[in-house]
Amino acid sequence: MIEVQHLTRRYGPTTAVDDVSFRVESGEVLGFLGPNGAGKTTTMRVLTGYMPASDGKAIVAGYDVSEHPLEAKRRTGYLPETPPLYPEMTVRDYLTFVARIKGVPRSERKTRVNAAMDRTRVMDMADRHCAKLSKGYKQRVGLAQALMHNPEVLILDEPTAGLDPKQIIETRKLITELGGDHTIILSTHILPEVSQTCQRIVIINKGRVVAVDTPENLMSRLGGSETLYIQIDASGSDATATLEAIPGITKVAPADVRGSLAGFEVSSEMGHDVRRELAAAVVGRGWGLLELRPLRMSLEEIFLHLTTEDTAAADTPEQTSMGAPPEPATLPEEATHG
Amino acid sequence: MGNTLAIAHKEIKSYFASPVAYVVIGFSAILFGWFFINLLYYFDRASMQAGGGFGGPQTVNVNEMLISPLFMNVSVILLFTLPLITMRTYAEEKRSGTIELLLTSPLTDVQIVIGKFLGCLVLYGAMLAITLVHMGFLFAFGNPEWRPIAAGYLGLILMGGCFLSLGLFISSLTRNQIVAGMVTFAVFLLFWVINWIASFTGPTMQTVLNYLSITEHLNDFARGVIDTSHLVYYVSFIAFSLFLTVRSVDSERWRG
Repeated sequence: MIEVQHLTRRYGPTTAVDDVSFRVESGEVLGFLGPNGAGKTTTMRVLTGYMPASDGKAIVAGYDVSEHPLEAKRRTGYLPETPPLYPEMTVRDYLTFVARIKGVPRSERKTRVNAAMDRTRVMDMADRHCAKLSKGYKQRVGLAQALMHNPEVLILDEPTAGLDPKQIIETRKLITELGGDHTIILSTHILPEVSQTCQRIVIINKGRVVAVDTPENLMSRLGGSETLYIQIDASGSDATATLEAIPGITKVAPADVRGSLAGFEVSSEMGHDVRRELAAAVVGRGWGLLELRPLRMSLEEIFLHLTTEDTAAADTPEQTSMGAPPEPATLPEEATHG
Repeated sequence: MGNTLAIAHKEIKSYFASPVAYVVIGFSAILFGWFFINLLYYFDRASMQAGGGFGGPQTVNVNEMLISPLFMNVSVILLFTLPLITMRTYAEEKRSGTIELLLTSPLTDVQIVIGKFLGCLVLYGAMLAITLVHMGFLFAFGNPEWRPIAAGYLGLILMGGCFLSLGLFISSLTRNQIVAGMVTFAVFLLFWVINWIASFTGPTMQTVLNYLSITEHLNDFARGVIDTSHLVYYVSFIAFSLFLTVRSVDSERWRG
């Protein structure tokens, strides 16, 4: 469990993190999103005890990181932005050193080092010097380091940075596996990553939280209405009026025209599925129905919307700066226990 | 304790896995050998002239004429080599980001600082151990007294400890190794020559400056005298430098 209460961190006159509050339940995977310089790394550094907060509190695994730093650190695994490797050490030596300083008892060190290497698939590089590893392997050795003492809480700063697509998929799978018995915060720039691996998202911009919610809720909340894309062969006749006449449809906007093919973006009231009526109307007129698919506001759009517009930040302060998730009912099952 | 040793062990491993340890030890050995040969020739000639009544000394003592000056010469080598040992300790960890691993592990700052200090001290010890070979020759072909030699080594270890702890502190102030190395060298040199000006100042100032000089305290050890005032000086110098290092690491967290 991680709890962040009104966390503020200043560097001299600049405020990197400004009154940030959120909560991560045990076994939950939380995505930490934000543009560069938004304060993601700073927040993570405070949570891991690397630096103190200027104001506010951070509680990790039941321990306040400023009051009981050693207890909190014993229960935290941290992968910094650049994997903290010693270039002149071999992977095995490095991980053994990590096991030692993380307090893994001597008798268990060997098995734990092997287990961590196995889990992150770096076994084949065990006797290679860290300096000679590729970026992807460095990242994975860094991850092995974070898992070493089987911590309750994992804090991962861009865990998939520098990996190739296959490794990214493997790492995401690993993170999903780890969620459940670990509480995880991961920061990333890659938006599809959060919708795949995280149960909840915190979007942070200029040091402030602008949104906390599940990926689905964020999409629907900011989407407002449901939009469909439909492409038909209306052979020259104007289809707009026909489509607008269907009950439940609020707006029909022509999207593209290619010869006799015409595409439309059709908006309907929230929760009102008009696909059957649309298809029936098109076919009933003898037109060809070539494509019909839902259009949703993608995470990218939400992200841009929230982080570029100041108005967006002002729109949602009520739901966002709360410690608890706004709608716990929407959380997946495993998030509430474990 | 276990954590401190883990850090020390890692430091030593890093030194010996990179060329640093071999270069430092190897070239110090060459310099030491050079000083040794020079003093040996000097001693050889002096002992030929001794008792001859032609202005030479009446008696010669290998401890006084060879070993004691040799120890003083070693302090010159230390001046140049010890900054090379300490400059990377913190600067390198900060630059490569491995400091994040240390500071987010369940370790206290004191454990990290002492561990690093011990690591440096062991490398320095290995460097000094080479000189035992030269002492071995003296014992094989002459009969020097071992007690003053032991005192001399104790003095060297303590003086080296001062340099190392100060170097550690300076390294903790920067993320640039070259800056750390240069500043450390300058400060070492300053502590070495600080009493050169002593003879031009008043009696109080003279005492203070002489007391501050790191090498001044080595004189007695090199002669085989273990004086508690020198012990106090060295031990408190080391403790204070390590304390400053701990504070510096802690303040780094605040500065970010």
